[in-house]
Amino acid sequence: MIKTESISYTYDGNLNFNFPDIHLSEGGSLLVLGNSGVGKTTFLQILAGLLKSESGKVQLGNTNYNDLSDNEMDYFRGANIGVIFQKSYFVRTLNIFENLKLSLVLSNKKYEENNIINLLEDIGLGDKLYSMPYDLSQGEQQRAAIASAVIKNPELILADEPTSSLDDDNCQKTISLLKKQADKNKSKLIIITHDNRIKNQFNNSITL
Amino acid sequence: MNIRKLAWRNIVFNPLNTILSILLMTFGVGVISLLLLLNNQIDKQLQDNLRGIDMVIGAKGSPLQLILSSIYHIDNPTGNISYKEAEKLTKNSMVDLTIPLSYGDSYNGFRIVGTTQEYIDLYDADLSKGVLWDKSMQVVIGSAVADITNLSIGDMFCGTHGFGDDGHVHDHHHYEVVGILKQSNTTIDKLIITDTKSVWDVHNSHDHHTCEDHDHHDHHHADENHNEDIYNSDKFMVTSMLVRFKSPVAFIQMPRKVNETTNLQAAMPVLEINRLTNLLGFGVQTINVIALVIILVSGLSIFISLYNSLRKRRYELALIRVHGATKSQLIKLVLYEGLTLSLIGTVFGLIISRSILFVTSFFNNQIFSNIEINLITEELWLFLISLLIGLIASLIPSILAYKINIPKILSNE
Repeated sequence: MIKTESISYTYDGNLNFNFPDIHLSEGGSLLVLGNSGVGKTTFLQILAGLLKSESGKVQLGNTNYNDLSDNEMDYFRGANIGVIFQKSYFVRTLNIFENLKLSLVLSNKKYEENNIINLLEDIGLGDKLYSMPYDLSQGEQQRAAIASAVIKNPELILADEPTSSLDDDNCQKTISLLKKQADKNKSKLIIITHDNRIKNQFNNSITL
Repeated sequence: MNIRKLAWRNIVFNPLNTILSILLMTFGVGVISLLLLLNNQIDKQLQDNLRGIDMVIGAKGSPLQLILSSIYHIDNPTGNISYKEAEKLTKNSMVDLTIPLSYGDSYNGFRIVGTTQEYIDLYDADLSKGVLWDKSMQVVIGSAVADITNLSIGDMFCGTHGFGDDGHVHDHHHYEVVGILKQSNTTIDKLIITDTKSVWDVHNSHDHHTCEDHDHHDHHHADENHNEDIYNSDKFMVTSMLVRFKSPVAFIQMPRKVNETTNLQAAMPVLEINRLTNLLGFGVQTINVIALVIILVSGLSIFISLYNSLRKRRYELALIRVHGATKSQLIKLVLYEGLTLSLIGTVFGLIISRSILFVTSFFNNQIFSNIEINLITEELWLFLISLLIGLIASLIPSILAYKINIPKILSNE
């Protein structure tokens, strides 16, 4: 489960965000809605342990983020949290397969070649194993980015505007892919978006 | 797919930057290493050929010239001295060994040296073929002489006056090759060695046989003209005399005695060689400084290429952090890249300097017969310094990678 209690963040002393508390049990999913400028990405980065909340606490499983040092947070994130961004990022010197492998190695999880191949085949990238990431189409890149976030079976999948730069077709594919992968691993899924196309596909949502 | 492999991928991904950095490092390290190896080689040759000779007596002139001509056979003689006078000076309980040398003639550029058989012992030279001379006009030749002139046992030849090709040919006298020495990697490899009397005979007899006259019976009369005690004759001249001391006291007394009481000159090889290496040292230092600057430029090139690629790779570094890499792993990544570049460049440089020496010695087997494959001490320093420069060059980029602001880079807002 993941739960937050009265977390907040201040930029440069004047832009102040206070976030609502959330509580998500195993296998649950949550849509975080809101217009630009309400701190959606800040919220996600706090959940990912990339930013430190100034108050309250974030707890994933039995771990309270406040108890972790910077390095421990990095390891913890690597092992337990998969993050997907609006733009797909890859290590451009590595092919798709190696990008997934890197993600797996950095999470300190067991590396099995077949797991990577199966996952990529599962999401329709079976023939792109050895392609360089920026040679793929945008939809393919987004799917590959999701693959490198979920290959380590994270407890929590965080997605920051995963669909906003995709066309309708790819938008649907991406959402069902996220749902499917989250279900498969029993991961908690939190999607932050202002994309109205996906509102109705989740029954659990909050608005910032 | 660990951090080290990732660093390697980044290096390979930018071949032009990589090649430039490595090339500069290779060049700088190569030049310095080549100079160090040459210096080392020259030092070794200089020391190897000393053979415990403590003093050389010769005609007045430049002491360095006397040493260069008598020990290394690379300069002209200073003049002739009376053998009797030199011998008298060295008849002393402090003297361990004296060897007279008479030179001034050559054959195909190789010097003919008249001496005693002790000279051969001095260099521990062994015969590979034939025997040592037992009379005048018989010679033993060094291995390089044999290789290049193709002289073999029983061959006859005439000497040329002086060391060039255009000297007067002593065509009344021909030498006979009776022995060939094994290669010793000393100066003796390049010498034609004969009895002192041979050289005396060539310059003091008035026979009229031409060199083309290859009648074996003819040349024997040369030594018949002179009896065995020419060494006692007042007229008997040699070019120099090599002296080895028995007692260290002689180092102080003997040179002064020779220089102050006679019109001969005594030169100390160790002093002259130090003087020579100091002279050479200045040129070597200058080139070393230039090469060091090249290494520094290579460091700068590594810095620029890392810095530029880091700017392009901001997202990548952020992503790696999101995947779970720690800050120190990013530092490691950048340091690996910089150090790998400088390491490759340095190793190439050390290999190339050896290859150059190998190729030159292949074409000129007289100079560098045994190349040092292992690192010499100074090169170990060179190795460490170039790695240090690579490290310093990657330090700032690695700090930038450490300080990278992930939330800002990955923020959509």
